[in-house]
Amino acid sequence: MAQMHPAPSPLIQLRGLTKTYWTGAKVFTALDGIDLTIDQGEFTAIVGRSGSGKSTLINMITGIDEPTSGEVMVASTPVHQLNQEQLAVWRGKNVGIVFQFFQLLPTLTIAENLILPMDFCNTYPVRQRRERALHLLEKVGIADQADKLPADLSGGQQQRAAIARALANNPPLLVADEPTGNLDSQTTDAVMQLFAGLTAEGKTVVMVTHERDLAHFFTRFITLADGRIVANEIGVPA
Amino acid sequence: MSRPRWMKLARDLVLARGRMAMLVTALATSIFAVALMLSTFTVMTREMNVNYVGTNPASAFIEVDHVDEALLDAVRRQPNIADAEATSWVNGRVEVAPDQWVPLLLFVVPDFANARISTVSPEAGAFPPPENTILVERAVLTLLDTIQLGDSLTVQMPNGTTQPIAISGTVFDPSLAPAWQEQTVYGYITPATLAAFGEDTTLRILKITVRDQPDSVSAIETTVEQLTGWLTAQGRVVDEIRIPPPLRHPHQSQMNTVMMVFLAFSVLSLILSAVLTATMIGGLLAQQIRQIGIMKAIGARSSQIAALYLALVMGLGLIAAVIGILPGMWAARGFSSVVAQLLNLNVYSYAVPLWVYGALLLMAILLPLLVALRPIRRATRVTVRATLSDYGTTAAFGSSRFENWLSRIQGINSSVLLAFRNTFRRRSRLILSLSLLGAAGGMFMTGLNTSSAWQTYINIAAVDRHYDLEVRLNAPQPMEQLAALLSGVEGVAEVESWNLIPAAVARPNGLDIVRTYPDGGHGSFTLRSAPSDSTFINTPMLSGRWLQAEDTHRVVLNQSAFVLFSEAAVGSTITLLIEGQPVTLEIVGVLRQILSPAAAYVTPETFAAAAQIQPTLTNAVRVAMTASDPELVAAVTQRIEQTLGQAGISVRVAVSEVLLDNATSGHVFVFIVALLLIAVVMAVVGLLGLTSSMSTSVIERTREFGIMRSIGARSRTVLLNVISEGVMIGLMSYVLAFAVSLPLSFGMGAYLGEMSFRSPLPLMIAPLGLGLWLAILILGSTAASAVPARQAANLTVRETLAYV
Repeated sequence: MAQMHPAPSPLIQLRGLTKTYWTGAKVFTALDGIDLTIDQGEFTAIVGRSGSGKSTLINMITGIDEPTSGEVMVASTPVHQLNQEQLAVWRGKNVGIVFQFFQLLPTLTIAENLILPMDFCNTYPVRQRRERALHLLEKVGIADQADKLPADLSGGQQQRAAIARALANNPPLLVADEPTGNLDSQTTDAVMQLFAGLTAEGKTVVMVTHERDLAHFFTRFITLADGRIVANEIGVPA
Repeated sequence: MSRPRWMKLARDLVLARGRMAMLVTALATSIFAVALMLSTFTVMTREMNVNYVGTNPASAFIEVDHVDEALLDAVRRQPNIADAEATSWVNGRVEVAPDQWVPLLLFVVPDFANARISTVSPEAGAFPPPENTILVERAVLTLLDTIQLGDSLTVQMPNGTTQPIAISGTVFDPSLAPAWQEQTVYGYITPATLAAFGEDTTLRILKITVRDQPDSVSAIETTVEQLTGWLTAQGRVVDEIRIPPPLRHPHQSQMNTVMMVFLAFSVLSLILSAVLTATMIGGLLAQQIRQIGIMKAIGARSSQIAALYLALVMGLGLIAAVIGILPGMWAARGFSSVVAQLLNLNVYSYAVPLWVYGALLLMAILLPLLVALRPIRRATRVTVRATLSDYGTTAAFGSSRFENWLSRIQGINSSVLLAFRNTFRRRSRLILSLSLLGAAGGMFMTGLNTSSAWQTYINIAAVDRHYDLEVRLNAPQPMEQLAALLSGVEGVAEVESWNLIPAAVARPNGLDIVRTYPDGGHGSFTLRSAPSDSTFINTPMLSGRWLQAEDTHRVVLNQSAFVLFSEAAVGSTITLLIEGQPVTLEIVGVLRQILSPAAAYVTPETFAAAAQIQPTLTNAVRVAMTASDPELVAAVTQRIEQTLGQAGISVRVAVSEVLLDNATSGHVFVFIVALLLIAVVMAVVGLLGLTSSMSTSVIERTREFGIMRSIGARSRTVLLNVISEGVMIGLMSYVLAFAVSLPLSFGMGAYLGEMSFRSPLPLMIAPLGLGLWLAILILGSTAASAVPARQAANLTVRETLAYV
């Protein structure tokens, strides 16, 4: 008798997601009725040409932007129904965001940058925060840079720090918007390894990228065009 | 500070230290001004009261046929009478140079050692004065600067007796306006000394204090009415009753008015600084908008971020309070001393009440906090998406008709053009900068406008009087004879009779009550005869008309007299008490007369009937001279004195325009100086505002400068761009400042004029204010934008494009 594997639980569920903007005299549809489910532990790539709706889509998932219509459910939370204050608290605890330009706060050291989300969300006791920050920095391989300012680090090191910051409150979901767009190929590879390692630990990672040669890292590959999903491929694409 | 969010705040502060220092300077300067004015106000209000009340001022002065010890004992037993004493006042003159006289007011004190009502304190020399010597009020030595303790004064009494009397001591009498201000010598003698001058030594003034409600005019009036009834029943003849404003120094109202104006201006400067704080914090927030977005993306709530910046504003307010309050209070000691000196008062304590500290601290912290709430709320509520899509090249341009119009302007230097368009890009901040500078400029101009209006009003007062000397006599003389006598004096051009007699508002109880202090000047009211065809005064009428020859039982009131009659109007009748008798007159006009005590003008015939004197007699003449320069006026006055002396005519007082000028200048000097001081504070705050605004603008557009430089713009271009924008904002604010200054000057003039002259000051536009503010703006805005412009021009392209 074949052994039954438990079905993977969906972490992200998008239903009929539409986003339109007014640009002067006409309406621009950035997302057009997106239906999508991403399971826990997946490493999903979102690709498409410029203006296809990639960034808008991940802004919907993180609650940075709100849909014109449709639903965004993340870990059973109706994100589209939260107000800005509720979103800030939810995001701090449930989503780690990694930006293309790292976006570390320039006047805080790397360790302080990591402690900041814990401080805002009050997730760890004050005395344990630095210890956790150092642990995360060690995990991304830059523990020796903990007390330096961001400007003293290379791009790759800053991006590692940004990933560590995204993990500060131990969120189930990491969303990254072209995190390797500013890095050389060697650093890109190291950063991608980091993300892959995190998915192996059970984190769900959704990443916008232009770089098709990173395809082998992903477990799902979603292609957008004109605000619609034109391909939703599981596993490494051919 | 172990939490990283506070560390971030602290480090951001260090990075923006220049702007923060400016902000703290502006706040501290304003709080300094408020501390200075509020402390001086509280100290001087208290000290003026302590000085005045310390003399145990009389509630009323009742003139009776004579006051003796038996009467005093009986009066002290009357209802609500706390105490009673006797005195006399004698109006004489002091010769300050050969045939040059100044008025002398002598207080005859029977028992210096045991005086209890309206007392004076010994300052130097003997006390009580030995017989045939005089004590003078200490400010007299300032008026007569060549006279010292021990010297002799040549004194002329009403009976014409003129003889020297030695000054044996000085006293301090805080119940009187300073001698140098009133141009009057105040002296204190015993009845025996008065007798040596051949004057009647009968004491006629009954000084009383009331037991209950000594601060209530109506309570005093009721007591006086009862007492007068009793006195009359005892067969005493009661003449004039003086009830000065109870427990209020003669200059209390003026001082309060002026101090309130200063206080209002300094609070306004603090409000300006608070607006400046909002501008600067707005700039800081604009600079950090992306960081705010990142903090929100990693879990910060709007309230957490708002708390950071609100704490920052509170901290800055606190620092400004520490810097501004104590020096302000220290300066208040100096300012209080100057005010006290000008008002001839002692400051017994410079202690500032505790509530002032609290109020200043609250003002310094809460006011900037309140004003900064809006920009902080707005910035921290921006969505993460909006903050992250802010690329530092600022908002889109060209979405409004106005911007489209701006974009079509061509044909001027591209840097200037860019500056012109940039000026209108952040319109909310432009409005804030313009408001700040406009308000500061408006107040600066108002300060100088009001000062100019005040000066102009005083000049108008002088111009309205077309005569050079008024001579008041101790006894009425035939006018024709007097005119003939004086017309023969070299330098006299014309002589007119301007009789005068004290008047009082008639009351239902028939008492002759005036609101005058013992000096007889402050709050006095006189009835005057005025030749209807007189060319000696201008008659600017507030309503109705000037007197005509055929007017009998008709009166023209000046505005100070008009307010004494609550329901009076042109056409209505009023009843005056003249020599204790009621006189009913119809009001035909209200005359604007500046710097003049209350006066009612009637024709000579009406005056003769009211005062019960022959129409051919006069007790005061006005003299126009062939020229009005001070030297000639002094010389002619001297000749007139000699002529009258030789004719045996006793002069009570001769008041020249020069004397009046001295008296009025003394009253306004402090006001003008302090108003200008506040105007300077306004200018400082306004310019700091512009500097901060330009710094913020440059920081916001750092990335844009990078783009400009990457496509070939040189440092000069960047400099020109920023400075042009600063000067443009400065010039735009100038128009606004002018517009603001008009209603403000009008309102301030109306308030000050009404309080001081019972008539609004004219709206004056001081060219000095316009010119000075324009110069300050051009120089200031160039300097204000030069510093940030240099910083912008020195940035490398890499630095500017990497700007977060």
